[in-house]
Amino acid sequence: MNTQDALTVTSVTKSFGGVHAIADVSFNVRAGSLTALIGPNGAGKSTMFNLFTNLYIADSGTIAYFGQDLAGMRSDKIARLGLIRTFQTARVFAGMTVLENVLAGAHIGVSANVWEEALRLPRASSEERTVREKAAHLIDVLGLSSVAEESAISLPLGLQKLLEIARALMAGPKVLLLDEPAAGLNDTETLRLAELLVAINAAGVTMVVVEHNMSLVMSISQDIVVLDAGRVIARGTPAAVQADERVIEAYVGRATDTVAS
Amino acid sequence: MQQALEIIIGGLLQGGAFALVALGFALIFRVTGTINLAQGAFVVVGALLLYTFHQVLMWPLAIAFVASLAVTVLVGTLLAQFVLEPALRKLPTAGMVILTAGLLTFFEGAILLCWGSQPYQLEPFSGSRPYEVFGLRFPTQSPWDAGATILIVFALWYVLQKTTVGKALRAVSENPAAAALMGINVKRMTILSYAVASGIGGIAGMVIGPIVSLQFDGGGIFTNAGFISVTIGGVASFFGAVVGGLGLGLIEQGAAGYISSLFSTTIALVLLLAMLILRPTGIIAGRIRRREDVRDVAHNQSNVSTKLSPMQGRVLAVIMLVLLAVAPVLLNATGGGGLLSSLVIAGIFFIALLGLDVILGYCGQVSLGHAAFMAMGGYTAAISCVKFGLPPIVGVLLGLVVSLLCAAMLSLVTVRLRGHYMALATLSFGLLIDTLTVGLSDWTGGPSGMTGIPNFSIFGYTFAGPVANYYLVWGVVIVGLIVLGNAMRSDFGRVLRSIRTDQTAALALGIDVPRYKLFAFLIGAGFASIAGSLLAFDFQFLSPDMVSTQQSFLIITMLVIGGEGTLVGPVIGVVLLTLLPTAFQFLANYKTLASGVLLVTAMLYFPSGLYGGFTALIRRFSGGGKRSTPTPLPAETAA
Repeated sequence: MNTQDALTVTSVTKSFGGVHAIADVSFNVRAGSLTALIGPNGAGKSTMFNLFTNLYIADSGTIAYFGQDLAGMRSDKIARLGLIRTFQTARVFAGMTVLENVLAGAHIGVSANVWEEALRLPRASSEERTVREKAAHLIDVLGLSSVAEESAISLPLGLQKLLEIARALMAGPKVLLLDEPAAGLNDTETLRLAELLVAINAAGVTMVVVEHNMSLVMSISQDIVVLDAGRVIARGTPAAVQADERVIEAYVGRATDTVAS
Repeated sequence: MQQALEIIIGGLLQGGAFALVALGFALIFRVTGTINLAQGAFVVVGALLLYTFHQVLMWPLAIAFVASLAVTVLVGTLLAQFVLEPALRKLPTAGMVILTAGLLTFFEGAILLCWGSQPYQLEPFSGSRPYEVFGLRFPTQSPWDAGATILIVFALWYVLQKTTVGKALRAVSENPAAAALMGINVKRMTILSYAVASGIGGIAGMVIGPIVSLQFDGGGIFTNAGFISVTIGGVASFFGAVVGGLGLGLIEQGAAGYISSLFSTTIALVLLLAMLILRPTGIIAGRIRRREDVRDVAHNQSNVSTKLSPMQGRVLAVIMLVLLAVAPVLLNATGGGGLLSSLVIAGIFFIALLGLDVILGYCGQVSLGHAAFMAMGGYTAAISCVKFGLPPIVGVLLGLVVSLLCAAMLSLVTVRLRGHYMALATLSFGLLIDTLTVGLSDWTGGPSGMTGIPNFSIFGYTFAGPVANYYLVWGVVIVGLIVLGNAMRSDFGRVLRSIRTDQTAALALGIDVPRYKLFAFLIGAGFASIAGSLLAFDFQFLSPDMVSTQQSFLIITMLVIGGEGTLVGPVIGVVLLTLLPTAFQFLANYKTLASGVLLVTAMLYFPSGLYGGFTALIRRFSGGGKRSTPTPLPAETAA
């Protein structure tokens, strides 16, 4: 078993104004794992994603990706290292079709330059073919085939989130950060998504998932990190976290005396 | 000493008028967060109305003054009500810059129709004998000019700081959404600020009218001056606008007095570009930090698909190619040889448009100085051939080198700038090149232009006459279309379009945004440069107005009304704006007006241009909706 960390967060703090969104947080994401990042609203989960990709810069502390410090690196460079994310509110490219959106995700893997593309030289043509085959496959896997030629922005929000996942997978991630992938999906769709996420993880992609759907989280993740008010309050397997009193407290509030006695 | 003091007086007088235009800019920027390039037009409108009322209809000065002011404000209010305010809710800030460029063109066209193209000068308000104080001569207009500036600055300050309306205006400028929630009528405040700004512009025109000469296209000059003042001084600050205006007046008069009047604006523009690099907020940054995001959210572009199926695209491409190939034969047979020359010009503009479409249509970067690269390509090629006897193809290549170097340097500035600052930097660059093409007269022949340029020749064949040039130019168009079409259907095109839509999402996919912006800008500049060279070789003549900022605006108009982000769409814009005025001479007078109206209308109501409407029609009549055509490889362009 690979014991290396895909992500190592060490004493990271991030404040907005006077509010500590993330306060002295440390945890790690094992390479190859499917780790869930959960917690009540405002716990700092999405802030953590923005810190991973340097959209936010931490006030203090370090974040390492396979041992490499990410400090001062631009977001696109981080993505090219294989750390790919989706957004809490899906950010699809509005003026493009579903297929074009997924194709745009292939950018990192394309090695032909603009001249080769402009003149349709062999490398550009063969790459474009490969990329289109892969995109068609991913669109099929995520159940978007019937809307492939539709404008991305016209999709319902749930499908936009699936489209974002397809686009992220197109980039060939080593570590995939998914922010609320099941938001806007019905139960059947959520079940299919769960199977898909497990399959992607089994294929060797490390995954960090922020999600509010607890049955989904408990069924797919190997490891859970619980944040509350910017701090890690629990950490462990789904069973251990479910039994943790502090977690229950964070979600449902402190058990009052009358109930306890 | 005497001379120096008189230059300073002249500079301050001119600067006072600039300051007034700049105040209009600053007011609108504070309230709406956008730049109104039509601001300078109100100066000319106000002055020419006063001319008509006072000097033609012989109304007393005071009545004529009030009447002119009233009409100017009325025009400004109507524009705000029916064009600018609705546009603010539809367009991003950079789009507003393009829209107001269209309004400026509209005004020039309208003034041309009302007052003709001759220059006007107003009579001084109180006699023409200069005052003499301590041996210094003051023009009689100076107390009026200084008085108006001081009065307006004070009035603005008073209204904004001491009245409820002022408080509401300031609230809108800081956060329109929150102001609306507090019960402030944002729409009314916005229209009010445009109305007041147009009035300030009108007054500026009336008090400076006796000092300068006014022409239908003078609006652009005042817009430029006001815009330079406000950018140097600080666009969000009234005090900055006044400082910038006075400073610009001093710089221009000083440069004219000591160096050469040809370069007076050059120096100001170099200062301006330096300012944009070092301190984009201007000398005096506004105290209120405007939340740029507030109005800039959710400006999604149109969802109208301009795609044709590969089949439809191929059919259309073949039809176009056949038409293009036989056009000279047909035209010569029917005696339309004059039209052939216009087709050559249309093709040249189309080449420049292909480049602009990559920058603006695909990458979403507003370039208002596109013709500057035509100028560099044109003049470098012309000078290499005429002064150094180099072969034309070497001239074209040298032009490319010069254009790409300048584009790369300009990109150092623009990649760091966002939204309308990019538009402003490219506009300043275009204006700078304008002053150089006129000013470097030893090289360029100055305003009257450069003659004796040879026709293009290569491998011993000279492209002389319209037919040869026609095939040369449209050959380049077709090669450009194929090459760019390929690139835009590949990863490169998708990267540019993703940058246009959402830079954060693009970065998250590993796209090096600044680098691809630079690429897009270089490609665009390259195409413009080639177009400029071909223009010089085709006419065997090149003058500054053939490649001026006016042409930059015209090219943008062609792109927007044709359909941006489509490569082929702009051909519709080119045909409308170059062929129709040639084919129907009586239309020539209306060209400027029509160009402005078309640009504004297209910005507001046809975001995918006429080409979007055209492809929608084709899809409807060929029975294939986008859903029913199984197209694994969508054709983005028809050719």
